[in-house]
Amino acid sequence: MIELEGITKVYRAGSQSLEALRGISLRIGAGEFVSIMGPSGSGKSTLMNIIGCLDTPTAGAYLLDSDAVAGLTFDQLAAVRNRKIGFVFQNFNLLPYATAWENVELPMLFDGKGGRRRRERVTELLNAVGLYDWREHRPSELSGGQQQRIALARALANDPPILLADEPTGNLDSKSGEEIMALLTDLWKEGRTIVMVTHNDHIAACSGRIIRLFDGQVVQ
Amino acid sequence: MNATLPRFFWSEYRKRRKKASLITFALFWGTLSVLLLMAFGQGMSTQFHVAFSGLGETLIMVYGGQTSLEFEGLPKGRPVSLYPEDVDFLKERIPEILRIAPESYNYLQVSANGKEINRTVHGTTAEFGLMRTQVPQLGGRFLNADDEAKGRKVAFIGWKVAADLFGGADAVGREIVINRIPFTVVGVLQKKIQDSMYNGPDADQVYLPFHAYEQLDNRRRINQIHIQPRDEAHSKLIEARIRTLLGRKDRFDEADRYALSFWNTIEDGKQGMAIFKGIEIFLAIIGVLTLLIGAVGVTNLMYAVAKERTKEIGVKLAIGARRRVIVQQFFLETMFVFAKGTFWGLVTAFNVVSLIRLVPINYDSFGIEAYLLRPVFSLRIFVAYMIVLGVLVFLSGIFPALRASRSNPIESLRYE
Repeated sequence: MIELEGITKVYRAGSQSLEALRGISLRIGAGEFVSIMGPSGSGKSTLMNIIGCLDTPTAGAYLLDSDAVAGLTFDQLAAVRNRKIGFVFQNFNLLPYATAWENVELPMLFDGKGGRRRRERVTELLNAVGLYDWREHRPSELSGGQQQRIALARALANDPPILLADEPTGNLDSKSGEEIMALLTDLWKEGRTIVMVTHNDHIAACSGRIIRLFDGQVVQ
Repeated sequence: MNATLPRFFWSEYRKRRKKASLITFALFWGTLSVLLLMAFGQGMSTQFHVAFSGLGETLIMVYGGQTSLEFEGLPKGRPVSLYPEDVDFLKERIPEILRIAPESYNYLQVSANGKEINRTVHGTTAEFGLMRTQVPQLGGRFLNADDEAKGRKVAFIGWKVAADLFGGADAVGREIVINRIPFTVVGVLQKKIQDSMYNGPDADQVYLPFHAYEQLDNRRRINQIHIQPRDEAHSKLIEARIRTLLGRKDRFDEADRYALSFWNTIEDGKQGMAIFKGIEIFLAIIGVLTLLIGAVGVTNLMYAVAKERTKEIGVKLAIGARRRVIVQQFFLETMFVFAKGTFWGLVTAFNVVSLIRLVPINYDSFGIEAYLLRPVFSLRIFVAYMIVLGVLVFLSGIFPALRASRSNPIESLRYE
């Protein structure tokens, strides 16, 4: 369960300040598939970063599974990101020099999981995204769609209950985008909470609920 | 750190090692340059000591002179000579003396093997050999007490004398004739470097037992007395006591600086060693400054590497890497590169030093190469180098690592 109450985020640069989020309150229940939409500069990414514990709000309360995120240390936030949240980025963000296998394995390494568990889980995930045969390839040797599937497998490595996807199909052709959406939909159906940022109404239609932002506020 | 992380770090390092090769090379080059600099510095210092010891170790030489002060009604300007009996006289009265030997010499004709040469011929005793580093070549010996006691007509000759008279053939057991008196060669001086001398290098000298020499030279007085103190610290005390004792015996003022003269190699050696120690310290300072420049370079490179890896750090932080994982990875990579560069620098420096030491020194024209061609690669230098470089590399590795770990994951992810 994701609960946001009066979340405000202000960026300051010298004497200038920019209010990216203005008192946002919302609840995303476990197992929901929510799309966040809005024009550029509406605060979508800032909201995603706060939900993903990559950033902290200037004001307001954020409860993740009833635990307050405010006040957690950098490393505690890292542990939350590692175990509870999986990230899928628009530009994949895979490590370029690592193989598909190693990229998927990485979150488990940071969690200290043993070799056998890692091997089993990476095998399972690569099979699930249909890329086991590509396990020794580096990202540069894979298509965009394949890279995003690897990124999705990496996001699921520690079996997190929440998946955050920031424009997951933004850099993909329509066929690859559909494949990714099919995978996300399957994951939702399996009970995972999915929060997705998108510009695309057609993609957003796959989700169960759409939250629209404008000028840092929820408008719908 | 969990056990799997070092393997992961290693695997990542292996993939990036080509990019780290510049840092590895910088450390290799720095290690090589500084170790060679220090090895040459220590080598010069050591060679100076060796060359200075070519004359003798901790040696005081006493010479006669002329009085410059009136004494007990006697006028100034009287000659003061040394005599063979002064040797026992001084030894009995100055317990600080470890060894003492008389020396007389004259320029005489030496012939053998159908050849005739003119060389300085010395008369002395066995203790002279110990004091004046007269090390014989294999199969020979220096003069001994029996030669003196039994009145043997034997000779110890410099290697150049041996070469001039006998060519490359073994001189030991051969006969040389000096003033129509035959002497059997019992030893030939081993080659040595010698930068301090009187009457030329020892390589050109002929040494006879003192009593045998007296048959060639009927002067009663001797040229000089060689003394080795039990303790270097006593050298000035021994000088003073000789002035007092011989002053009383030969009736001159012990304060008369010209009645006797001394060549105190202990004091000279201290000055010489101070100069070379100074050079060694100077080179070490240059070495440390070079290392500092190198460390600044490594720090810069590490910062550049951290910058280049900004996005990678952002990805790792986003998917749950703790700060310490980032620090550990950067720091271990720095340490590994340090170990690798230093190791190859060390191996190369060791080999360069070993190769240079193989170049033969020309003992006949002892010159600058004798100081430069004998660099010394000591454990002391290596340990000192490792400590200084270790501290510098630690500092140059830890700061970029800490900075990388403090990256903001969002900004790092946006970095292109």
